[in-house]
Amino acid sequence: MTAPTPPGVATHCPYCALQCAQTLTPTPGDRLPVEVDGRDFPTNRGGLCQKGWTSAEVLRASDRITTPLLRTADGGFREADWDEALDLVADRLRHLRRQHGPDAVAVFGGGGLTNEKVYALGKFARVVLGTRFIDYNGRFCMSSAAAASNRGLGMDRGLPFPLTDLNGADAVLLLGSNVAVTMPPFVQHLAGVRSRGGLVVVDPRESATASLTRDGQGIHLAPVPGSDLVVLLALTHVVLAEGLADQAYLTGRTTGIDEVARSVAEWWPERAESLCGVAADDLRRTARLLAAASPNRGGAGAYVLTGRGVEQLTQGTATVQAAINLSLALGLVGRPGSGFGPLTGQGNGQGGREHGQKCDQLPGYRSISDPAARAHVAAVWGVDPDTLPGPGVPAVRLFELIGEPRGPRALLVHGSNVIVSAPNATAVRAALGRLDLLVVADFVPSETALLADVILPVTQWAEEEGTMTNLEGRVLRRRAAVDPPAGARSELWLLRELARRLGVTTGFPDDPRSIFEELARASAGGVADYSGITWERLDAGEQVHWPCPATGDGEDDHPGTPRAFLERFPTPDGRARMIAVRHHGPADDVRADAPLHLVTGRVLQQYQSGAQTRRVAELNAAQPGPFVEVHPVLADRLGLVEGEDAVLTTRRGQAIAEVRLSDGIRPDTVFMPFHWPGLGSANRLTQDATDPISGMPEFKVTAVRIEPAGAPDGVISA
Amino acid sequence: MRVVVIGHGMVGSRFAADLVEQHPSAHLTVLAREPHAPYNRVLLSSVVSGRTDPSTLALPQVESQRARVLTGVPAGRIDLDGHTVTDANGEVHPWHRLVLATGSQARIPDIHGIANPRGLLPGICVLKDLDDAHRIMAALPRSRQAVVLGAGVLGLEVATGLASRGLGVTVVHHSGRVMERQLGAAAAQVATSRLRELGVRVVTNTSVAAVTDRRGALTGLTLTDGTHLPCELLVMCAGTIPETTLARSAGLPCDRGILVGDDLRSPAADDVFAIGDCAQPPEGATGLVAQGWRQSSRLVELLTGHPATVAPSAGEPSAGEPSGSETPDLTDVVRVKAPGLDLVTMGLSGQVDHGEREVRTVRLSDPAIGRHVEVVVSQGLLVGATVVGDQQCASELSALYTRMLPVPRDPAHLIVRPLATVRASSATAADLTDDDTVCRCNSVTKARIVRAVNEGCTTVDGVSRATRASTGCGDCARLVGDIIRDCPTGNANRIPALAGRSEG
Repeated sequence: MTAPTPPGVATHCPYCALQCAQTLTPTPGDRLPVEVDGRDFPTNRGGLCQKGWTSAEVLRASDRITTPLLRTADGGFREADWDEALDLVADRLRHLRRQHGPDAVAVFGGGGLTNEKVYALGKFARVVLGTRFIDYNGRFCMSSAAAASNRGLGMDRGLPFPLTDLNGADAVLLLGSNVAVTMPPFVQHLAGVRSRGGLVVVDPRESATASLTRDGQGIHLAPVPGSDLVVLLALTHVVLAEGLADQAYLTGRTTGIDEVARSVAEWWPERAESLCGVAADDLRRTARLLAAASPNRGGAGAYVLTGRGVEQLTQGTATVQAAINLSLALGLVGRPGSGFGPLTGQGNGQGGREHGQKCDQLPGYRSISDPAARAHVAAVWGVDPDTLPGPGVPAVRLFELIGEPRGPRALLVHGSNVIVSAPNATAVRAALGRLDLLVVADFVPSETALLADVILPVTQWAEEEGTMTNLEGRVLRRRAAVDPPAGARSELWLLRELARRLGVTTGFPDDPRSIFEELARASAGGVADYSGITWERLDAGEQVHWPCPATGDGEDDHPGTPRAFLERFPTPDGRARMIAVRHHGPADDVRADAPLHLVTGRVLQQYQSGAQTRRVAELNAAQPGPFVEVHPVLADRLGLVEGEDAVLTTRRGQAIAEVRLSDGIRPDTVFMPFHWPGLGSANRLTQDATDPISGMPEFKVTAVRIEPAGAPDGVISA
Repeated sequence: MRVVVIGHGMVGSRFAADLVEQHPSAHLTVLAREPHAPYNRVLLSSVVSGRTDPSTLALPQVESQRARVLTGVPAGRIDLDGHTVTDANGEVHPWHRLVLATGSQARIPDIHGIANPRGLLPGICVLKDLDDAHRIMAALPRSRQAVVLGAGVLGLEVATGLASRGLGVTVVHHSGRVMERQLGAAAAQVATSRLRELGVRVVTNTSVAAVTDRRGALTGLTLTDGTHLPCELLVMCAGTIPETTLARSAGLPCDRGILVGDDLRSPAADDVFAIGDCAQPPEGATGLVAQGWRQSSRLVELLTGHPATVAPSAGEPSAGEPSGSETPDLTDVVRVKAPGLDLVTMGLSGQVDHGEREVRTVRLSDPAIGRHVEVVVSQGLLVGATVVGDQQCASELSALYTRMLPVPRDPAHLIVRPLATVRASSATAADLTDDDTVCRCNSVTKARIVRAVNEGCTTVDGVSRATRASTGCGDCARLVGDIIRDCPTGNANRIPALAGRSEG
């Protein structure tokens, strides 16, 4: 082990769920307070992408907020001290609660917050505010994958195996994920499977990740957007029809195969081909490749991995369910060297969905509707279970309810830039305008913060201590390397101060370690059991994946669970459930006046709503602004010219973006990244139709019309 | 609402399941003639070819307290006035709505000697249901030569399937070319050549006049032109006939099939509907299951009063906007499922008279490699296509056609795809210009790497430290090494560049 030598601080990158290990060396007196270096670690092997290398820039963003800001009568902001700002917020909250009841206040969290912040936020909402309205931006991220995993496998732990296991597989099926751009060091773990020709990437674009299949390294399938489910149903059809399934596994470890078999009997490859646009023989070839790699047929192992491209759909949960069904039919799940897993996106997208900021959830991945779970958590919190509110509503519905008679009148936003990242952004912006009080805690003036009545400046990443849970369910330590700017405070501190002002004087320490210890107790016995994980074990660099239950005095520590499901599934009968699903297609399908599919996604040098990365000059130089990727044949038909602006129109709105030509995209599809605000915001265009099970909005397929900005119809009003 | 469904095939079973799921008060009785659970008939040819395990054909079926499926019980009589159906066991089933999904039967040509009082002679088969498939498979061990009568879609699927099992196969077809309804002469010729390569001989402009047998088992047949073909297996794929017997006896108007309007209703009784192969809608029956399934969901919508296929939404219902299910959904894509023969047609294909329509037809004929592609475009939309021997093109065209998406300005782009430009991922160091990005993860250009080399970095590690190139996914390390090696500067030429990153 190469322990960092002081004064370097061992921590992890502020951005995505790969949580690449970094060493931060303080550089007093320099323009930036720390120097960033990659640190050897299983997930990133020392690698960082450009975002990680430049992450220290955000610490010194020129517009960093360092003092609370209050909205003034003329629409501007004035500086205030913390007492004034918190007194004001507490007064307004108290008043709204008295007039309209506890549900008048809503909380919106984020998947980038530490486990301790997430836990404290959920507790604050339930105990101090007593509101049922809490949800978070992970709703836009992992909700479909989480719902399907919980239904099918009894547990949602992202990758239920260490990432490094991928190296030995003969096949990896990657659906709707562009890891080469969104988490570049991940690609190192695909080297083995590529050398064996076994990487299969399903994406309507030849993304950077899809191009990794070139030259015999694998297969790229480019389905019509929104038809990934058809691809999966057809693959499962071939596996069953050709007798390639793992019958012993199906008999011993699963239920529901008969119903699933009947449902995929309708999806022979030739029928699937005419819907998804993937050639029948390519579907067969892929199914056979996966089967040959599966342990049942003597292969070295196969993995099925999903990303937002197949999850951010109104049939997103069904699509992940179908991916699980395929994995189970091949006998992959709970077998060393094989498996299924969704790729978590945000830095703490895993921990963010476990500790109680989801509308229907209590810490430990417990259901807020389960009386036993309520009793357990209430005991840890020292409150009467009956005082805990019931389930709230998912994010999109939460925004819709603002301004409704029983809807929220105040909203506290933490770690989220919703007017850029939420679907149908124009409507979300309008919803925020209907609030009596909007409080945003952030470290930069994000587009959402600029709409707030009160902005509370908080600490970030290298300024704070805490824990994060990465995409493989491994709990990591985030460590402080520098002091925060004078006026910035930790969210834990401000929740404590607000709680005190609202009459709750205990239970909100601002010390992350105490909160982690309480979080661990609250999670004991839950699905995501952290009770055996201690600050000391994490500080010692132990590789601990949850579940990790506490052990009795004198017993050895539980080693954690790097590979889940090896013996049984956490379902009542111990078996995985195969659940038949049906394809219905997008809510907003192409039509004569919107004959193209819009898909949204990310670029390497920007992150999510761009609130951090758009403040880094080097990243902006590489990806300066919004663009729309168009196939040359489509551009030729529509008169679109590389480098010139195009106007995109959907049922929800219009946006404007620079045309970039690419022959790696389907000619019936255009791609737009969603990192920018204003007229170039892709989420002005997206749908807020949601998945009936997960509440996930349909970001990934919208019917769109596109024309040159100069065209008669190409006029846009802001 | 009491609904009786007659027929539990691919369309009847889909309809029954969807109606019960979407109509909260519908009570269903389904009369299922065959003794099996519903199964996928489209795949019977794949069972014959050995590509599909027959045990995997079972389809979803209705499971509800409100649905009663009588398996192996044919309907006996329909009483329109009394609103009842009497089944073969004499049980009487009342209905408010009656749905006929009786399907079709195989047409058995009038050939001398093919049947005796017990049925078709051993070795002579049709392929319409699961029992037929088992009968063909049972005949395989004693068959060396097979004749398939009829070169339609099913005939070609069966022929290639039997050939792939090692039988000598001859297709006998009455018309001058294979699949004459879908293919023009040139396309048919390419398909026929391909069939020959697959071991299938095609004999056209003739038919079977008589069969010869020894002790009741098939030994050969005589064609109308007098040729004698020895064979132990004859599979007759001579088309289907809509099953209208019950409807006719009940007095429902029938032509080839049971006549229905755009709303799938019989003109004689507005509470009686027909869907699937037994129905004859105004636009004509295609015999394709896609049409039947589409009719099934339309009828569910009609009976429930709401769209069956629209995606559920937790958001506002957005009044006035058309729902997804109203998007046109063209179902007449004909796709031959024959291993080794890629053949797809859709819409206008073959030798059609385009009449007054303004159409553009673009054709690529490349018989030497077995390729023939033809697209028909009208008013900016693809209205027809024929594709032989180009599966990628076929899948793209059918996705475009069924969605009615606009075509390129020059329809030739539908057929010929420009070659992808060379991108850095597979480029060599020499291909790259100074401005090209070598390391995508860290936005490092070739020029930046060359500069680092000029400044004294002579290893990949050194360049990585100076520029961050290859410190992300690491995929460009080899390319960085090549650039260092190719660098004309200083003494870099003499130092072997590492192809990967060193330890540390």
